Amino acid sequence: MSFLDQFRTAWRNLSRQKLRTSLTIFAIVIGAVSVTVMLSLVTSTKGFLVSSAEQIGMDRSVIVTGLPGLGYRESQWNWPDGSGKRMDADSLALVEKIENVGSATLYINGGMFESFSFEGRDITMKNIQTESYTPNGTVKHILVAGDELSSSTNGSGLLISSNIAKDLGYKGNEQALIGKEILLRYRKDFGPPEAKKSDEAGKIIGVTSSDGQRLMSADLDWAIAMQTLTWTQKGPNGQTVTNTDSQIDRNGFGSIWVSVNDKKNVDAVMGEVKQLGFGAAAGKEEIDNQAVAFTIIGAILGGIGGIALLVAAVGVINTMVMATLERTREIGIMRAVGATKKTIRRLFRVEAGLLGFIGGLYGVIISFGFAFGLNQILNKQLSDSGIANRNLVSISPQVALVVLLITTLIGMLAGSLPARRAANMDPVEALRYE
Amino acid sequence: MAKEAVMAFIQCSGLMKTYTVGGEEVKALDNVSLTIEKGDFIAICGPSGSGKSTLANVVGGLDQPDEGSVVVDGIDLAKAKDKALSDYRNKQIGYVFQSFNLQSHETALENVISPLTVAGVGKKGERRDRGMKALERMGLADRAKHKPTQLSGGQRQRVAIARALVNDPQLIIADEPTGNLDSSRGADVINELKRLNAEGITLIIITHDVNVASQAKRIIEIKDGKIYEKAGAK
Repeated sequence: MSFLDQFRTAWRNLSRQKLRTSLTIFAIVIGAVSVTVMLSLVTSTKGFLVSSAEQIGMDRSVIVTGLPGLGYRESQWNWPDGSGKRMDADSLALVEKIENVGSATLYINGGMFESFSFEGRDITMKNIQTESYTPNGTVKHILVAGDELSSSTNGSGLLISSNIAKDLGYKGNEQALIGKEILLRYRKDFGPPEAKKSDEAGKIIGVTSSDGQRLMSADLDWAIAMQTLTWTQKGPNGQTVTNTDSQIDRNGFGSIWVSVNDKKNVDAVMGEVKQLGFGAAAGKEEIDNQAVAFTIIGAILGGIGGIALLVAAVGVINTMVMATLERTREIGIMRAVGATKKTIRRLFRVEAGLLGFIGGLYGVIISFGFAFGLNQILNKQLSDSGIANRNLVSISPQVALVVLLITTLIGMLAGSLPARRAANMDPVEALRYE
Repeated sequence: MAKEAVMAFIQCSGLMKTYTVGGEEVKALDNVSLTIEKGDFIAICGPSGSGKSTLANVVGGLDQPDEGSVVVDGIDLAKAKDKALSDYRNKQIGYVFQSFNLQSHETALENVISPLTVAGVGKKGERRDRGMKALERMGLADRAKHKPTQLSGGQRQRVAIARALVNDPQLIIADEPTGNLDSSRGADVINELKRLNAEGITLIIITHDVNVASQAKRIIEIKDGKIYEKAGAK
């Protein structure tokens, strides 16, 4: 029997039992959709994260801290409390001398401010971090509007993250913030109570994409000035004593950020840094960790989809076993007119494969629809964090093809047992079957 | 027993076949030897369960004996593999059944060409032409697109004969072909079969209708798996 005839016969047999066929296909569709969407979601999100990380040079970045053993994230938020090696201009000079270091900067991240005066309004926000560094290209951001800090914009140029922009009332209109002035108000409990803490005026020059943190980025020199508090006191003899306090002076900076000239030299630079007695954490490890996490999530979700497909396969077996029973006499007739066991076996296998194929086809089509819907939701969330529409979930034609192939194979495999059963029927018995 | 096996069309010898029914062994074929010549018209008679269908099935390659041999064109069907047996059924045998055994979801034409489809013979158009020719021979060309349920019993049986004919078989085995038909339609069917036999096709009819049997050239009676040959019409 030619393949075309087998296909025709299989198609016809499936159409004879529309409801049962549809239900069996439905189960396969569920499996196919879950596998396709889950795998695509995970791989595209992973790809997106990795490419965003590379865009800001995270794959080439090393954070040097005074305390060894800190991870990348901890290093980022490391606050100098006097323990460990002191991070200052001397340590920076040491690090800069290391071979393959492209650029480096002292870095500190702290929470000095809690409210703003902006366009005549007072706005209080919780958990605002201010990072500062020398704008020499070492520290980079994904920008929603405006530009990075640069040595030419010196002074009080300020980057704010998109969620601060949102709090300021400029969601989706971040560009309009560029060039505006904003007054930063110190946290009341920052520094000694008697210290004078007048507002700092900054100029917004860029809006960065937010990862949830309310983050401002400022030039290091400005930050040093902001950290330095002065106040006067009556001395024991009635004289006025001027006090100065700077946490940076006392404890040094939080870390040194290094941009290595090439990704492949990151390990070598890390080694050198550690030899100097510093701690070092590489951005690429963070990227790898995230990638591994996504691979694991992908495997788990894919596995769930796989289970759905397995259940669907049981459905196919069930359907085909029913079909062999119903068609016993037909099988007998086919055998009487000369069908070989092989022909019968193939016929049932093609039919089961067709179930799988149709299920896979619908599954893939629905997955594309799903991906479209999911992208609408994700795009909205991304735009909340200031990232332009990205269509995170993209189903590649390869994935679609593979899913189609897998469902077809699963169908054929599930059909094997009933097919063998049908083929091995005694034709004489089958013809007698009522 | 005739030993001119070299010339015989089908040579059965020492056929044994035992079934177990309800824990009891039933000998359907008990040392049956039989020679069938080309152009023979044999009626196999006997009571229900006597083994007539088993004999026909063994000769027709639908069943295999426990012991003995069925030699057709130098091939022993008793030892043949599925492929060879199926090929034999497809090319050399045409079956006609009491209950017609037409595929109810297929049209008359589709039923008729099913042996060609199953064997992957020719293109669709060629099969159609051959099927239509077979239907024309049975006077059913205008019923080609009808489903079996839209046909009368006699018409259905003639569709079944057309199906048996479509591959130009050497042997037609008809198992109680008139059993489900009234006498006049039954007679029509027998006449069709006789006409085919006159054209040179060997014919085996299983029947317990004496009128049908009496028209055969050879009458073989089977009882408890043993055969007794009676004189036929010629």
